[in-house]
Amino acid sequence: MRNKILLNKAYPVVFLAVIVIVSVVLLMAVNSVTSPIVKNMQVEEIKNTLRSIFPEMSQYEVEDEVYIIYEDDEKAGYAFIASGSGYGGNIDIMVGLDSGFGIKGVSILSQTETPGLGSMITESLFTDQFKELSASDIALKADGGKIDAVTGATISSRAVVNAVKEKMIEIIDSLEK
Amino acid sequence: MKDHKDRSNSKQPQSCHPQEQHVKDNKKSSSRFWKELAKGIVISNPVFILTLGLCPVLAITNSITNALGMSAGVIFVLLCSNIMISSIRKAIPLMVRIPVFIVIIATFVTIFSLLFEAYFPPLHKSLGIYLPLIVVNCIILGRAEVFASKNSVVLSTADALGIGFGFTIALIMISFLRETLGTGSVEIFGRQLFKLPGLSVHPLTFFISPPGAFLVIGILLALFRWIGVIRSE
Repeated sequence: MRNKILLNKAYPVVFLAVIVIVSVVLLMAVNSVTSPIVKNMQVEEIKNTLRSIFPEMSQYEVEDEVYIIYEDDEKAGYAFIASGSGYGGNIDIMVGLDSGFGIKGVSILSQTETPGLGSMITESLFTDQFKELSASDIALKADGGKIDAVTGATISSRAVVNAVKEKMIEIIDSLEK
Repeated sequence: MKDHKDRSNSKQPQSCHPQEQHVKDNKKSSSRFWKELAKGIVISNPVFILTLGLCPVLAITNSITNALGMSAGVIFVLLCSNIMISSIRKAIPLMVRIPVFIVIIATFVTIFSLLFEAYFPPLHKSLGIYLPLIVVNCIILGRAEVFASKNSVVLSTADALGIGFGFTIALIMISFLRETLGTGSVEIFGRQLFKLPGLSVHPLTFFISPPGAFLVIGILLALFRWIGVIRSE
């Protein structure tokens, strides 16, 4: 009986199908447990990053791609996420603007740059340079701007600079409309 | 009569007491367990002897924290897939065995990735694409094909643990060297273990970069082979 089942030509197909179904069920189960945790984490991370740029933020609202920051029911500024291609992959940057559209602060959300080199773009020594700059100043000193790149990590630094500048111009444009 | 005597001489002496035989069998199988386990650590070390799955090894060993995270993933997937494949090995049709292995391995890698993303987010980010790449890591597919599909669940568990530990030890050695020489200090999960005064100011960043990885692995490989040659003499 067993040999008859194993020699059946449809058996491999059925077997593979069963394995796939079992795997999918298993994955759905695990995902249902982990995905709310992941979603919460992402919201928390955004909140924490915004608070690091706007320490007195009381709440924020999201409209399209822009975060509107409130300090005690007053509009205190805006924030948006800029993305760029670094040396080792995508870099996501949270940029905060004050009500005059100057940069309030910059914080790296995610990066996979080389540890010890490109990863130094997360240090305040690099990100503090963006504060109070206007869009035209945002470039590496080597490219005629005011920002010192991280030593040995020009590509990562330039990626951040270009991403911030481009998105900043785009967002300010849409805010002024 | 004569034949019967000859045949019984060439057989192993049977023990009279059934309990003794049972103890002997248990001792045999438990020592086989540890033998298989030890094999994976030294004789069949996946990185230095089998030289399998070197691509993620090169990429992930730029820091000890990354290496430990990757090792955890490999051990988890190896263990789960070896056990599962071994327990259904008699029912797997030969024709579709590779797709079956890949589906099972991919499922466990995804489970690990989901759990990691929820409970260890920074490590998940720094492992990046090398986490899903565990699916096609030759070590895991290799053990499934060569061992788990042909041996018992107990032995397959031993094999998974041995190979997994061998992998972990290899990765720790490589990443320790690369991180110490390349950044001058060693950090595990954010806690700094030590800092070398001279190197941390002017680190040999060559070792953090890919060519440095090749160099470190090459030297360690040569060392292992050399020890193996000395041993066999």
